[in-house]
Amino acid sequence: MSAARRGPESVGVRLQRLLLVLPWLMERGSTPVSEVAERFGLTDDQVVRDITLASLCGLPPYVDEMLDVVVDEGMVWVGVPRIFTRPLALTAREGTALLVAVRAALALPGADPAGPLARAADKLAAALGRPALDVELDRPPMLGAVEQAVRDHERLAVTYYSASRDALTARTIEPLAVFADRGNWYVTADDDRSGQERHFRVDRLHECRPTGEHFTPRPVDPVIERGWFADGPSTEVVLWVTGEGRWVVETYPVVSVEADGDGLRVRLPVASERWLARLLLRLGPRARVLEPATLAGVGREAAVLVLTRYRAGAATSE
Amino acid sequence: MAEQLERIANLLALLLQTTRPLTLEQISDELAGQYSAEATTRRAQFERDKRVLRDEGIPIETTVLVGEHAGATGYRVDRARFELADLALTDEEKRALQLAAATVRLDPTAAGRALTKLATDDTDPGPLLAALPQAAALAPLCAANAAHHEVGFTYRGKERRLQPWGVVMRQGFWYVVGHDVGAGEQRVYRVDRIESAVDVDAGHTFEVPDGFDAMAAVTVDPKVLGEGEPAEALVLIDAVLAGKVRREVGDGAVVEARPGGAVVVRVPCTNRAAFRSWVIGLLDHAEVLAPDEVRADLVGWLEAVAAP
Repeated sequence: MSAARRGPESVGVRLQRLLLVLPWLMERGSTPVSEVAERFGLTDDQVVRDITLASLCGLPPYVDEMLDVVVDEGMVWVGVPRIFTRPLALTAREGTALLVAVRAALALPGADPAGPLARAADKLAAALGRPALDVELDRPPMLGAVEQAVRDHERLAVTYYSASRDALTARTIEPLAVFADRGNWYVTADDDRSGQERHFRVDRLHECRPTGEHFTPRPVDPVIERGWFADGPSTEVVLWVTGEGRWVVETYPVVSVEADGDGLRVRLPVASERWLARLLLRLGPRARVLEPATLAGVGREAAVLVLTRYRAGAATSE
Repeated sequence: MAEQLERIANLLALLLQTTRPLTLEQISDELAGQYSAEATTRRAQFERDKRVLRDEGIPIETTVLVGEHAGATGYRVDRARFELADLALTDEEKRALQLAAATVRLDPTAAGRALTKLATDDTDPGPLLAALPQAAALAPLCAANAAHHEVGFTYRGKERRLQPWGVVMRQGFWYVVGHDVGAGEQRVYRVDRIESAVDVDAGHTFEVPDGFDAMAAVTVDPKVLGEGEPAEALVLIDAVLAGKVRREVGDGAVVEARPGGAVVVRVPCTNRAAFRSWVIGLLDHAEVLAPDEVRADLVGWLEAVAAP
């Protein structure tokens, strides 16, 4: 869960947390303060402060209903639960977040359409009023072969279109794991060409041939974090975009966004000049590069390059 | 602020336990000393507390009392209206939910809170396998869809009123599809492009047509979305990208295969901006051949960027 907060918190946030923590504690009886803190992303002090407050709740003539909560020697003790026993109903945001995760998990390969997850999904959807909510995770044609190779620890000979180099390359990869990020599937693999771990977009594999050679797999860390890119290491670029170019912020991982005049100042990681060139051409007159100065001309150069082709007149193919 | 939190917790405990609605005076007596003795201040404090509770999803019900306190306003909280209904999840089903939320990431903070409320235990999560795009408008749209309430929002600078028939994720984007009340026809909107908060209007409800399939109603290709007449363009694709484009648009869209591997494909360009974005992504490996007007539009766009 989220890390411990800094600075003053609103009453609403603390109330919500209290009503989340109390029913949880009541399920468990006595719990170390440190465990409560870790579970809810709090400091020990915050836990003690909130629990102490809860222990003061309940008033005459409802003395019987007083909350029996004690913090002592690093443990939280909860006695007979009377009030605040049930958690609050799921908010729209909580319910949607969980239902979407469940629907997507059911769309993943190997999901059992009649298993416990499907049954839980049905109960959850019913509690949320059965929203018409569907998640499609498209599977590119090569994905099955790649997954098979991950399971079998088998090297694959592939032809890959690298968007950052804008070229087709042949390589042999040792596929370690597959994952999906924002609608695209990737395979994490050791790559003989670069000698490094890389993430390849599965829909950009032109050819994919099992080699019959096997390798010893190594564990890999999940890589889906904001800021990673499929095509290798990245540098940071600062763009100024108008309101109409705001989609950049919604479409790509960005480091920071600030209002700047009648537009936005956006800092984002850029994997290659080719990638940046494409982005700048799409944005057109709605953006310019502020930093680094060395990349300020990338959009213009790319536009000139593409225009050269149009100005050559009759369409020719290479 | 601890004082206000303590007062609110006590207020909630009181209004939950009471069997009959209480007036503010009665509440103030019960919570001895926690509300101001001065009537105007007390009312302001109480209204503030009510607002906090309402914002956290705990509505205080008001009734006009009869009998002893006839005419005064009485307050209580109905447990059933804010407490989580028992979903009757088995331990196995709880574990499956936990695992799903660890495997697919959308809004981990909210999903984590939901799991805590459902009393799932921390289990060793498997690897994260899929990350989905987040959009603030998603939750209110889903809630409005479930409750069959109309919504209002700003999209491309225009106020829209929509009966949200369904919400889907396709090709990495969230869409809401439904009947646009202003336009008088079915429309699809990208959820991440909604420019305002979503206003849910419980006063206007609707029925979803029988057998409506939201996924089928959402056109995958943004190049065909748009409000103009359907249009198509011919684009020459160099050999280096021919395979990729061919898989994307389908063999049926290939109108000519040239020696050396280049192909000419027919693609929709109804949404000019989406079409331009697609062609530009191919850089100098693609060239719009026809119609002239679409080609000129692209050249004009590039010239604006190329201008020193």
